[in-house]
Amino acid sequence: MTPPDSAQFPAPAVIARALSQRVTTADGTLAILSEVELAVQAGETLAITGASGSGKSTLLGMLAGLDQPSAGEIVLLGQRLNDLDEDARARLRAGRVGFVFQSFQLLPALTALENILLPLELAGRADARERAAHWLDRVGLAARAGHTPRQLSGGEQQRVAIARAFATDPEIVFADEPTGNLDADTGARIIELLFELNASARTTLILVTHDDALAARCRRRLHLVAGRAREVTLA
Amino acid sequence: MIYLRLGLWLLRRERASGEWRVLLLALIIGVGSVSTTGFLGDRLKRAMSEQGASFLGADLLVTSPRPIETWPAPSVKNSKLKTSSLATSQALEFSSMVAKGDAFQLATLRAVDAAYPLRGTVRIADRPFAAGTPRPAQPPPGAIYVEPSLLPLLSASVGDRVQIGEAHFTIAGVVAEEPGQLGGVFGFAPRVFLRADEVEQTRVLQPGSRLTYLYQFAGAPDQLAAFSAALKSTLDSTQRLIGSREGVETLRGAFANADRYIQLTALISLLLSVAAIAIAAHRHALRHYDQAALMRCFGATTAQLRTLYAVQLLTLGLLGSLIGVAIGALMQQALAGLILPDAVTRLPSLGLAPVGVAVVSGLLALAGASLPALMRLIRVPPLRVLRRDLPPLPVAAWISAAVSGSALLVLIAWYAGDAKLVGVFVGALAGLIGVLTLLARLALVAGRGVQRMAHGPVRFGLAQLLRHRFDSTLQLGAFTLALFLVALLALVRSDLIAGWRQQLPPQAPNYFLVNIAPHQQEAVAAYLSQHRLKASTLYPMVRGRLVSKNGTPIAETLPEDARDTNTLRRELNLTWTAILPANNAVLAGRWHGDQRAAEISVESGMAERLNLVVGDQLAFQVGDQTLAARITSIRSVKWDSMQPNFFVIFAPGQLDALPASSIASVYVPPNAAGVLPGFVKTFPGITVLALDKLIANIEAVFDRIIGAIQLLLGFLLAAGMAVVIATLLASLDARQQEAVLLRTLGAQRAYLAKGLWSEFIALGLLAGLLASACAEIAMALIANRLFELPLHLHPWLWLALPLAGALLVGMSGWLTTRHITRVPPMQSIRELG
Repeated sequence: MTPPDSAQFPAPAVIARALSQRVTTADGTLAILSEVELAVQAGETLAITGASGSGKSTLLGMLAGLDQPSAGEIVLLGQRLNDLDEDARARLRAGRVGFVFQSFQLLPALTALENILLPLELAGRADARERAAHWLDRVGLAARAGHTPRQLSGGEQQRVAIARAFATDPEIVFADEPTGNLDADTGARIIELLFELNASARTTLILVTHDDALAARCRRRLHLVAGRAREVTLA
Repeated sequence: MIYLRLGLWLLRRERASGEWRVLLLALIIGVGSVSTTGFLGDRLKRAMSEQGASFLGADLLVTSPRPIETWPAPSVKNSKLKTSSLATSQALEFSSMVAKGDAFQLATLRAVDAAYPLRGTVRIADRPFAAGTPRPAQPPPGAIYVEPSLLPLLSASVGDRVQIGEAHFTIAGVVAEEPGQLGGVFGFAPRVFLRADEVEQTRVLQPGSRLTYLYQFAGAPDQLAAFSAALKSTLDSTQRLIGSREGVETLRGAFANADRYIQLTALISLLLSVAAIAIAAHRHALRHYDQAALMRCFGATTAQLRTLYAVQLLTLGLLGSLIGVAIGALMQQALAGLILPDAVTRLPSLGLAPVGVAVVSGLLALAGASLPALMRLIRVPPLRVLRRDLPPLPVAAWISAAVSGSALLVLIAWYAGDAKLVGVFVGALAGLIGVLTLLARLALVAGRGVQRMAHGPVRFGLAQLLRHRFDSTLQLGAFTLALFLVALLALVRSDLIAGWRQQLPPQAPNYFLVNIAPHQQEAVAAYLSQHRLKASTLYPMVRGRLVSKNGTPIAETLPEDARDTNTLRRELNLTWTAILPANNAVLAGRWHGDQRAAEISVESGMAERLNLVVGDQLAFQVGDQTLAARITSIRSVKWDSMQPNFFVIFAPGQLDALPASSIASVYVPPNAAGVLPGFVKTFPGITVLALDKLIANIEAVFDRIIGAIQLLLGFLLAAGMAVVIATLLASLDARQQEAVLLRTLGAQRAYLAKGLWSEFIALGLLAGLLASACAEIAMALIANRLFELPLHLHPWLWLALPLAGALLVGMSGWLTTRHITRVPPMQSIRELG
């Protein structure tokens, strides 16, 4: 296991070195990501943008330890992911990494409160129920605690998902097209909420988006073209 | 710990989901089925064990067709049946008529002394089915005790006078409990206790009567052991020595075999439930891939997910098994009432052992059915949260097959007991599945033609049926199996009984007159001809035991495994005649005719069993005499001719010196049945066997057994419905999507509903038709091969089974899917995500 990279300060939350992902298809080898270099400092916000199929979600999944690269190295929260197996990567994520998805990914059988409760329970938090209620309140849905996702609008579902992502006090939150399934107004309100919570929790936020308005809210932006990264410095 | 709690929590939140419900329902049905038979079997087995010595009424019982005059010393003093240290009792059992007014009934009489029984209790009550009080089995002088079932047959009650032979007795009480009662559950003739010293005055015992002498012993174990060791060598093959342990063991052995087959029948329901569970578990896994992936994102490891889902499964397994056991506990009481209507209150209470067996069976079935699906579930890649099309990592097919296969094999092996039966069961099951699959496929191909002719919602419904070919095959197979078995059982019952009745040619003898004393022969013949009744020839009957062939003891001439035959254990009915009886044909040698030589004719089946050929010299033991004769012919006998038939027929004159009674058969037309009470009154010692009553008795026993099996088949039908529901649930999402599309395109709710009904009714009709065909074929084979009954079709079957199928499948199908016709399209779209 590689020790945390102590040469830099503050410690980067995520580092990717020469990250490549190739898949073999019937027509030959296809490069999805090529030689991506990236370091995201703790507390930073990064938007990954690019056209459909440019490898955005693949990169996000790898940075979060959900998948292994074909080549290159990833260090997440000080741990070199290449050295960890699937289960060890899961243990690393437990309570330290939050997720927000385009399709919300709420469990249909659970209420809004219970959906927030789930990662807290998984992380073994003693004050799980109180925290879940607190976060539901933070996203303005205290009155909908007992409602199942089916009874909530898309925007409300995404708010529950955001509360769920922040409830465990994660060090880093990954968001995949968080406004992708929402109309412009709702999307704007969701962006507002996401950044507000991120700022107050001082979480590192890495998100994938098509939405320029959303990308513009991030401090840094990584643009992918056919699997190759180009950092766009924002004004 | 967290995952344990989390598993339970998620389970509670999802308890209303269709998959869990079907899984639970199927498990309850399966476990209910095996625990019903398990409980009852256990109660019967324990009843036998607990009865122990009281089961025989003694520590040691000797039965013999003849009185035993000499007993081994030293235990028995003076070679008489009196010992210094062993308690003894003697009883005599025989059949005779009991008459009251114009009513008469064949009964099994047990003449007992004051000491009977040595062990156990006899309870006598003053009215039928009362608890009674413990009393000696020997009634007071001039009185008898009877089994409750005799009273309605004679329209008699306690206190009435009845006639047995030439003597009259008062019914002094009914037998509420006696040793060994459970063993005689299926006895045909009700039992009557009378005093041993009053048998003589009935004058029913004739030479040639079938008698059983019962000698009971009780005492210290070492003395009994010495006594039985000394006794064993003095007994011949028709005499039996039964220790209390042995007696129970023999009965238990026979019972265990029957029990095993019944348990295997019950197991079929559990195995059918496994199909439903497997389908439900598969759908559950499919619907939970996202949940599992999400939890992996949140940090759950494979082991943690495994714990979480295992906890859920185990909880459901235990819950389903326990509810199943509770249902089994209720159903076994109903089953006991059917099989043992008289003894059910005396069975021991429910045991705990079957609970364990049923719960473990349920968990094994659940594991076998659902582990492959869950193995896939915990192998879901976390990346699925971003790419929803990602399937779980594949589980090698052989691992799934090994997990399911070994769980099911363990179950079958456990219930079947020995390797051979496992093989037969698995083979039969595989064959049945193969045939049913093939038939279902063929039926679906035929359905395509019908679908082309149909239109509107019916066409749409049939199209659904044909499109989900795998599901339809499975549903059709499961339901056909259940309907087929139910129908087959009903056919076996009705055809067999009807067959026996029809096979009697018109005016075939319908009564046997047994035990006709030599001095009565002329009077009987005169009585019958006076009433214009046509009787068969009167055949003298002597009872004897085959002892040797060509000078060698008969047992030694046979291979070890062929010695245990009834022909050697029982005394044979021997007769003589010069005329070859009708329905007999000489197959080898020549008929002895009226040649008065030491010659015999032997029935072909007996000759085959005992390796006898023309020219063999046989010796028979009759009383204390030995009779030798040479086989001069081998005969075939038509046993169902309802004439007196014999294994061995001597040439004339050979049996003259021996005491004999005679037997005859007679045809009494229905309008002349009034003659019989007069006959019984005139000849009280002659036993009148009514074939009608005999068949009615067999019918009654048959009905009880079949009623019991039908109860078990109820579970099978329920399991079949669970399979239908599970497969429908599995296709529910796809169906909902189609419904949304159709409704968006303008289809009305009624159109969708009609489509669904058409689909399920068609499925039920098809299952009913297939089951009818299978039942007809199976019945034809059974009738032809086993019982040699004439073949005929059962038109009502072809109507009843499809109707029943349509009703049951239609109901379960509609209840499962009606939701999709009611939900507005927009809500459907949301539900499906």
